[in-house]
Amino acid sequence: MGINLVKGQKIDLTKGRSSLSSVMVGLGWDPVEKKKSGGFLGGLLGGGSGGGAAVDCDASVLLLDEKGKLVSKQHVIYFGNKTSQDGSVVHSGDNLTGDGDGDDEVINVNLSAISPSVHRLVFVVNIYQAKQRKQDFGLIQNAFIRLVDNGTKEELVHYNLSESYAGKTSLIPGELYRNGSDWKFSAVGEGTLDLDIGSIANKYL
Amino acid sequence: MGINLSKGQKVDLTKTNPGLVNVTVGLGWDTNKYDGGKDFDLDSSVFLLGSNSKCSSEADFVFYNNTTGGNGSVVHTGDNRTGDGDGDDEAVNVNLSTVPSSIEKIAFCITIHDAEDRGQNFGQVSNSYVRILNADTQEELIRYDLGEDFSIETAVVVGELYRHNNEWKFNAIGSGYQGGLGALVSDFGLN
Repeated sequence: MGINLVKGQKIDLTKGRSSLSSVMVGLGWDPVEKKKSGGFLGGLLGGGSGGGAAVDCDASVLLLDEKGKLVSKQHVIYFGNKTSQDGSVVHSGDNLTGDGDGDDEVINVNLSAISPSVHRLVFVVNIYQAKQRKQDFGLIQNAFIRLVDNGTKEELVHYNLSESYAGKTSLIPGELYRNGSDWKFSAVGEGTLDLDIGSIANKYL
Repeated sequence: MGINLSKGQKVDLTKTNPGLVNVTVGLGWDTNKYDGGKDFDLDSSVFLLGSNSKCSSEADFVFYNNTTGGNGSVVHTGDNRTGDGDGDDEAVNVNLSTVPSSIEKIAFCITIHDAEDRGQNFGQVSNSYVRILNADTQEELIRYDLGEDFSIETAVVVGELYRHNNEWKFNAIGSGYQGGLGALVSDFGLN
């Protein structure tokens, strides 16, 4: 079990751990359990679960330069663009439901292969078609981000996003960033009102 | 542009700037801003310390509710509630020549107001700095950027002015603490 982080906490990853080069970033979430006995009104109103459609969360990564700007539009790594140009960041694909234990989506990051122009990796989870489906993070619980050393399989850090994110349609669980020659991780844990990864990416142009 | 300090560095102030009497200590910071997140209110405060590194009375704690101390030699220019905008967010003016002789050190601190309730800490604050200007010429003499050293702390002692052989020097401390302003106040000998 890795170190459990709290919101705002920052931690050294590679400092004192020079063997670390490849990390698996696991992101997970669960749908809030639907009340089975929603009663007559509950049934009529769709059970209060966003019209009843499943919530499809997507994980993405924005690769930012030293000034905190997106290096280019190709530096948004998501289910439609799964590998960064330098090959250092690989998204393992889309999970449509968030069901089941463990990581729902996984992004592998080879820290030693990241282009020198990339200084910050912002992880984002947003709800697919949040607006059309009238969904927000009030329908999601137990969101987490964790980092595992791909060499030793040891979990390095684990951050549970324990706040309520009701009303928010995107989450920024954490960031990997350079600090001198080392990499650190920051447990950001902020929600935003962005409806898709494109509008988040636009904030970093 | 003044001298850039790194953590732990101590520099002469009056010795290298003869005739320096009035200084402005400017403190600045940026906070992470996300939609709908709670607002940050960072406060600067000043502790006037004796040779035992403690305040001798509450009058030696200068902050937004007690903006003047040291017989008028230290003046806090007031609270900025948002930290918006470039440049110094809060400033303290010090007349080095009239600081009472019982005061050996003047510690400058930044704390997050209501940090616990708002779930905030210095991990969400970036680009914090302290700089010292000659208040008469507005020339920046020294600057200390606190960098990337903070995480779950809610109070930071950024630096202190201190007496040394009849001169004033500055020490870039940059130490973070948990427990907010309350912890600092008790560490400096007040209740």
